[in-house]
Amino acid sequence: MNQTPSAPAKIELSHVTHLYLSTTRAFMAVQDINLRVEEGEFICMVGPSGCGKTTLLSLMAGLELPTAGKVSIDGTPVRGTSRQVGYMLQQDYLFNWRSIEDNVFLGLDIQGIRSRETEQYALHLLDEMELSDVRKASPMQLSGGMRQRVALVRTLACQPDVLLLDEPFSALDYQTKLKLEDLIFSTLRRHKKTAILVTHDLSESIAMGDRIYIFSRNPGRVSSEIAIPPAIRDSLPFDARNQDGFQDLFHRVWKEMEVVSDAAKGN
Amino acid sequence: MQQKEIESIHRHYLKQEAKNRYWVFFTQCMLFLLFLALWEVLARTNTINALIFSYPSKIWAQFWSQLLDGSLLPHVGMTVWETIIGFLLGTLLGAVIATLIWWSPFLSRVLDPYLVIANSMPKVALGPVFIVGFGPGLMSVIAMGCAISIIITTINVYSGFREVNQNYVKVVQTLGGNKRHIFRLVILPATFPTLLATLKVNVGLSWVGVIVGEFLVSQQGLGYLIIYGFQVFNFTLVMMSLAIIAVVATLMYQGVAFLERRLTSQFK
Repeated sequence: MNQTPSAPAKIELSHVTHLYLSTTRAFMAVQDINLRVEEGEFICMVGPSGCGKTTLLSLMAGLELPTAGKVSIDGTPVRGTSRQVGYMLQQDYLFNWRSIEDNVFLGLDIQGIRSRETEQYALHLLDEMELSDVRKASPMQLSGGMRQRVALVRTLACQPDVLLLDEPFSALDYQTKLKLEDLIFSTLRRHKKTAILVTHDLSESIAMGDRIYIFSRNPGRVSSEIAIPPAIRDSLPFDARNQDGFQDLFHRVWKEMEVVSDAAKGN
Repeated sequence: MQQKEIESIHRHYLKQEAKNRYWVFFTQCMLFLLFLALWEVLARTNTINALIFSYPSKIWAQFWSQLLDGSLLPHVGMTVWETIIGFLLGTLLGAVIATLIWWSPFLSRVLDPYLVIANSMPKVALGPVFIVGFGPGLMSVIAMGCAISIIITTINVYSGFREVNQNYVKVVQTLGGNKRHIFRLVILPATFPTLLATLKVNVGLSWVGVIVGEFLVSQQGLGYLIIYGFQVFNFTLVMMSLAIIAVVATLMYQGVAFLERRLTSQFK
């Protein structure tokens, strides 16, 4: 990262507070969040449920605008959804009424950039994920892991710089999940994407991330930040779990999590 | 287990299945024939009043003579025509209104109580209003066939739109889609099965509307024949019309059901 300190961060949140309003109450999902993500970084966000992780992703994706504070990408405030940011949900949500190929072209259709060139790129990604032989198939014929891979291609086909991953592995079985972690990790590294992963799985967050933000809840706030040492950071998630120091790091994150869950109970 | 053995077991199963289907069909036919025979015998022996209930052979004779002298088909054609128009109008307008209130949450909240009232209202009670408004003829009958299905279509289709999983909408939004994209790429295709199921219900409803409409006002149609037969105490004519309605309405329903199966096969 050859950036001068004054250059704008890839993603920057400053004093972000967000309220959810209903007729019965105003619920503060996150309060005064400040964080900076540099280009090409892989950030993991962990915390007890209800700590506003998904809210932060929605704010970065421009699905919602913050009640107070500023969310900016490349120094420009986020005003709505943009092509720059891709979002992956907990489940694949492929459209059953479209073939795999047409699911992958969905973003191209919406953004009006479908051309032979962009189609070729999408099909190339499909090939990278070893899915080219099912391009004409229906989503219903695919396994969970394959479907989630298709969803990744659908997101990457629009060539976003930033990828927001909202627990994309949580609906998969353990083996598939480990394989997909490696695949997504290496794909994002290769394509030099900036990524933010929300997860409940602490070891996943250590294995995949460059940095981890731990959140506390009521309201959601950053409780601590942990940098991952290079040895673990640079190995594939599967190997990272066997690196020296992984267990120590796991215990540290575990302790931090105990702190925030205790704090939540104390409230 | 050997492949041959598996095949022979499967063959045996298929044979058994075919046999079952045959027996069901056979029993269905026998039941119908038994009903006709019993009716015929009871009426001819005067156990039931032949003047009121008529009997199958007489109805059949009436059917043939009316079919051959050409006085029957215009009635059938008229009713089928009115039903199709009423059905299409009701479905189309209902779907359009549903789309509008999906598009505008404000409109949806404003129209909500009106929809509830319109839905609770027995539509056939509006008959006299239609006759005054559209004149005593074709238009009133079609209006009735349409009115009876339009509100329920609106409500069903709109709730179908709302039941679409919000995460599909989120997918389109995060890819940069606007409301138009959401409707075209998600809402419409996802509710396609609901739309087609609504068609099936509407066919039946439109028949009700049209027959009642013809009861009230018309010079032609199966509903008219029933009322006319009733007034001149020709119950053979009434029974014949009922039988024709049963056949034609079933055909129409099966047609829509066939269409539904063909068009939703990719969803199953």
